[in-house]
Amino acid sequence: MFKLTVVTPERRLVLNQEIDEVTVPGFRGELNILPGHAPLITTLETGIMRWKIKGQAQEQVAVLSWGYCEVHPDGVEILADMADLPEEVDVQESQQALNLAEKRLLNESLDEENWKQVQREVARRRADLDIAKHKRV
Amino acid sequence: MASLKEIRARIDSTKNTQQITRAMKLVSAAKLRRAQHNIVNMRPYALGLKRVIADIALTQKVSHPLMEPKTEIKKILLVVLTSDRGLCGAFNTNINKFTEQYWRANKSKVEKIDFFFIGRRGHDYFAKRGVKPVEYITKLDKDISYDLAARVADRLLKTYLSGEYDEIRLIYNEFKSAISQTVVCETLLPLDISNTSFGKEEGKAGFSVDMIFEPSPEQIVEQLLVKNFDLQVYRSMSESVASEHGARMSSMENATNNAKAMIEGLTLTYNKLRQEKITKELIEIVSGAEALA
Repeated sequence: MFKLTVVTPERRLVLNQEIDEVTVPGFRGELNILPGHAPLITTLETGIMRWKIKGQAQEQVAVLSWGYCEVHPDGVEILADMADLPEEVDVQESQQALNLAEKRLLNESLDEENWKQVQREVARRRADLDIAKHKRV
Repeated sequence: MASLKEIRARIDSTKNTQQITRAMKLVSAAKLRRAQHNIVNMRPYALGLKRVIADIALTQKVSHPLMEPKTEIKKILLVVLTSDRGLCGAFNTNINKFTEQYWRANKSKVEKIDFFFIGRRGHDYFAKRGVKPVEYITKLDKDISYDLAARVADRLLKTYLSGEYDEIRLIYNEFKSAISQTVVCETLLPLDISNTSFGKEEGKAGFSVDMIFEPSPEQIVEQLLVKNFDLQVYRSMSESVASEHGARMSSMENATNNAKAMIEGLTLTYNKLRQEKITKELIEIVSGAEALA
């Protein structure tokens, strides 16, 4: 029994779903977690997470933006700020937001806080567009 | 005595008002359901976050500037949550009264009290009393998102860390049920870990000691504390919005009932008057006929 739970303040994405494996955008790069992983606590960056529901070949994807991940013997628990599923991504809107954010990075002199925020926005929108493509394949 | 026509007109206009209040009640009920849904959705996240912070704080013995109480409180920031629109019973009045009382009671004791208004009603009330807010945002009921709450929380956190304030207090309506809300005044910062149900389940706290932390426990706790603060702000906002819709729903329900009672009374007078008129006419006809006979 290896269970995955993903929750954000606004919604519950996955609740106690049995899984075979999960890949999360860890603080030091992508992190693949299989059943039996050593107990771990880490923060997550903005990026794509993938997981396989037990007995299904198809991989599930979602975009997470900042989160916290705890691995314990019975499963993985993820708390994220935001989570987008591929079917919810509006490609046009994301593209616009991405363009705007990139322009801001190039043209405006931002302080460190804002810069981080815009960076995060860029990462999120890019990931959104990536998973939106995934949906069509 | 009003004429028949006048009473008829009053009945009609009361009926119109009743229709409006009934519609508003239904709209509020729908919005309330959504707001409640919001609160329920947040619960697993909130629980998870609390458990983790308690666990790490217990096993790793970390502390953080946000958690340390100040020795002397001189500068206070009051965050006041109200609604943008009225017609919701005592919802805003309660908040404003409470805030004013607090302000008058503590004004002389501390160096300064500043205000941060969320919602138009509170802002307008205090603007009339010559209070200039440091911040003022509106349109909460339309898009209450975690994003917005995080931005507000971030700003509060920064002003606190810069030492501008020694204490940040939040005044809002806590959502008890659709018909009851209570005004609460919470201390947002410094965080009081001991009192907010943190570490309540100390007995079964913790994970194995050989847990891997990435990055270090201190950094994780810091980030989690900030998240917890965001969440607290988000929760209060959600509660306030849910309370607003609840208050509006019940006050509109009352208004609809009052309108109904009024229509009943007016209809009664109308019928009596009509009957009187008919009787009078009949008497006139009969006595006229008698005179001829």
